[in-house]
Order: sequence, then C-alpha cells, then structure tokens
Amino acid sequence: MNTLSLLNGLRFVDSFFPSGGYAFSSGLEAAVQGGAVRNAEELSQYVVELLTTGIGEREAVAVGLAHEASASGSLETAIAVDRELEAMKLGYESRTASRQMGRQVIRLAASQQARHPLIEDYLAAVEAERTPGHLAVSFGLTLAVAGWSKEDTIAAFLYHTATGFVAAAMKLMPIGQREGQRLLESWIEIIERVSRQVAQQRMLHSWSPVQDIYAMRHSRLESRLFRS
Amino acid sequence: MSHTNHINQSTLDGVGRRGALAYEFERSGLRTVLTRSSCTSPWHHFPPSYLDDSGCAYTWLVNPSGGLVGGDHLSVEVQLHAQSHVLLTSPSANRVYRSLTQPSVQAVRLSVGPDARLEWLPEVTIPFAGSRFRQSIHVDLAPGATVVLWDSMASGRVARQERWAFTSVENEICITTPQGGSLVERYHVAPGRLLEAVGLAGNWDYVASLFVIGDAVGADVWKRLDTALAAILELRPGLVLGAVSFPAAPGLAVKLVARTAPDLTATLESLWAAVRKELWGLAQAAVYCG
Repeated sequence: MNTLSLLNGLRFVDSFFPSGGYAFSSGLEAAVQGGAVRNAEELSQYVVELLTTGIGEREAVAVGLAHEASASGSLETAIAVDRELEAMKLGYESRTASRQMGRQVIRLAASQQARHPLIEDYLAAVEAERTPGHLAVSFGLTLAVAGWSKEDTIAAFLYHTATGFVAAAMKLMPIGQREGQRLLESWIEIIERVSRQVAQQRMLHSWSPVQDIYAMRHSRLESRLFRS
Repeated sequence: MSHTNHINQSTLDGVGRRGALAYEFERSGLRTVLTRSSCTSPWHHFPPSYLDDSGCAYTWLVNPSGGLVGGDHLSVEVQLHAQSHVLLTSPSANRVYRSLTQPSVQAVRLSVGPDARLEWLPEVTIPFAGSRFRQSIHVDLAPGATVVLWDSMASGRVARQERWAFTSVENEICITTPQGGSLVERYHVAPGRLLEAVGLAGNWDYVASLFVIGDAVGADVWKRLDTALAAILELRPGLVLGAVSFPAAPGLAVKLVARTAPDLTATLESLWAAVRKELWGLAQAAVYCG
C-alpha cells in the first residue's frame, strides 16, 4: 500500500470521521447495566468474543466480500452481501446503527474527487432504498477503492469496531485511557489472526448469543447514554 | 496400520441413514387436513390430531430410533396450502450422538401458503459429547402467511454434567417473505475445536430463538406482542436472559438463554401462549412442550 492509499483509507478508520459511531455502544451499555461487564477483564472477554465468533464471522466476512465486489466491479455482489447482513442483524437498534454509519461512509466516499463507478452505483442503490447500506459493505467498498488489501481492510474494520467498544466503555465504566490502550494492544494479535482467517470465508455466521441479547435489550433501558 | 485406518474410514463413511418425511396440508371446511404424506426410515408417519376446536392439525414429527448418528441425513418437507393451520412438534428431544467423522444432518423445508399459519416448535436438540450436528430450516411464506418458529439447543446432557462438549453444531434458519424481506440466523459453534468458542453462552445451558414472522399482522399487534414478550422475558431474572426485537422481516425475533430445562420450557410456554393470543385470539396450544 502506498502512502496515498494509506491516507485515503485512514480517513474512514479515524475516530475523527463523522460516522456517528460515538453514539452507539453495540449493546455494551445494556451489558454493563445488566452486570455482565463490570471490569476491564470482562470487557475484554465480551469484545474478544465479538471480534472472533460474532462480528468477526459476520460483518468481517461481509467486509471481505464487499472488497471482492469492488475488485470485480460487481454491484450485485455488494447488494447481496448487504441484504444478507440486513437479514442476519436481528436487533432493530444494531441494524439501524449499522445502516446509519454505512450511509455516512458511502456518501462521503462518493463525494471524493477521485470518483469510482461502483461507489457511485452503490450509493445510488442505497439512496433508492434498493439496498440497506450497512457499514461493513460501505467500508469494504471504500477501502478497496482506496487501494487497501482485503486483509488490511478487514483488520481496519475490526480495529475500528474495537476502538468503538473502548470509547464506549470509557464512558460507561471506570476505565481510563491507559487501560483502554492496554486492551487495544491485547486485541491486536487477535484482530490480525481473524482478518487472515475470514479473508478466505464466503459464508456469514455469528455466534454471540449473549451479546446479541444485550444489544436487543438496549432499547428498553430506563436511562441510556447511547443509541444502541 | 494405514490399511486398517482405511477400512475403518470406509466403514465409518457408510454409516448413516437417509430418511425423508413429507407432508402436505389443505384447508377443508373448518379443519386443516393432511392430503399427502410419505416417509422413509427412521421417520414414522403419525396422523395429525385435533386437540381443540380451532381446526389446527396438531402433527408430531416422530423419529422412534432414539436420535441421530453421524452420517444420518434426515429431511422434512412440509407444504401448507391456503388458509391451513398446522402445528408441528416432536414427542421428545432431538438427541445427536457422538460421531468421529461425519455430521448428523437435518434439512427442513417449510412452505406456507397464502393466509396459512404454521407453528414449528420441536423439542430441544441435545448434542452429546463429541457429536456433530448440521441443521438447516428454510421457510417460504406466501402473502398473508405467518410462521411461529422455535429452535432450541441444550449445552449437552446436563444431568451428566456434560456441557458444551459436542464437537460442532451448525445451524441455519432462513425465513423469506413475499416482499423479499428475510430473516437469517446462522451460526457455527465448535467447542470441540476451541472451548473458548462458546463464549459467554457457556455460563448457560440452553440457547433458543423464537421467530414470529408474517405480513398479515398489523403494526399495532406487533407492538402489543413485543411488549408482552418482553415482559415474559423479565419473569425469571438470573434464570433466563432474553430479548425481543423487530427483525428486517415483518414480525418479531426473540433470543434467550436459560439455566435449566424447566426455565426454558416455562418461558417458551408463556411466549407461545402470548403469540397465539395476540395473533389469532387462540388459547395456549394443548400440547406438552417440556
């Protein structure tokens, strides 16, 4: 990857990017309130499971397939993956959050100076409600066009997800920035391994029933900091 | 030594049965009747019963062989014609025995015709230590059709302290609506490969999903049912953890984990009763589900 590709893709991974991700905890808030996540160790277990058998086998695979769709110029593939994600994300809040962030990514990607037909076609399909516009698909397409490899794109997505959990945890629990960095460091090797493994996968799976339940319970919390 | 292994492998590859069960139902007057059926071993044909005055055909999926072994490939194909109402359940748990090589496969295809109602609530699947189970359930809904689908799995033979000791369970549930909206639940959990793969679910002994999907139900009904189901899921704090939400297809999705079989059964019965009442004004199904 050359420096230009790195920088063009980095914008979308950076927490400075206005995807609205800061408003979502992906169920962590419900898990904290429910007593399932009380400290850094439990947070790590909660997130690592998602990075490996939850998001790591569903959204991460979708990122890889979207990256392939970009390489082959296949809008149909991108839409098929998007619809599969829509069907698999059972929780209303999680599904809505993913769509909202994905739309933000693809809109900004389409407004770049260096235009790409697949990005524009996908955005048109999203705006016409022909496809949901999930974050994983938008992210995969965008970083592929920026020149990132498939594995790097998946790793960036998982890292972006991991930092989102740390940022949410710092607002929900007594976890400071140094502890947050320690957690991220401990997840790096896992992210690298998962990225390598799921780059070969074509089928979306997800096994994180407890995390899914907390994500679905979030809308019924009496007091909420986050929107998911 | 390699020759012996070869023979053993060939023998193992030959193990397993291919059993197919097919049913077709139609509405006849006030009742739903079975109009066509076929089955091959190990399935056993059992004619439907009428346990209440709703006209619903209560039908048991009977496999008297005791369970599934590696290499088994069982299929179920059920077609409901317009305005029929069928409840499909099983008389006992679906036991999956240890397998060294091949998975036990169960493939289910359910076609629900216009304005028909299907209730699919089989007993829990118990994957024994070392077992390999692969299940797929595909449901196609016609306009106006509704499906109530329950799928549950135990961690193993809990009474023997055997928990999450199976080799792998692959499960896929796909429900497709006529408008194109669909619901997919697909997982592959393999504690035999990596015990940590079970994750937080390892603190529980039962994992289950209930899907209620259909395009003929009004938004107000779904909202009332959503509230009712959420309240039921709060009745056993610490024993049942569950949630309900609106999936991409029209309807509701419930996911839950439970400590014990009685907790699971009691929760299912309450959820199911609420669904029948809100959707159809029917009483609790007259079938034991424990």
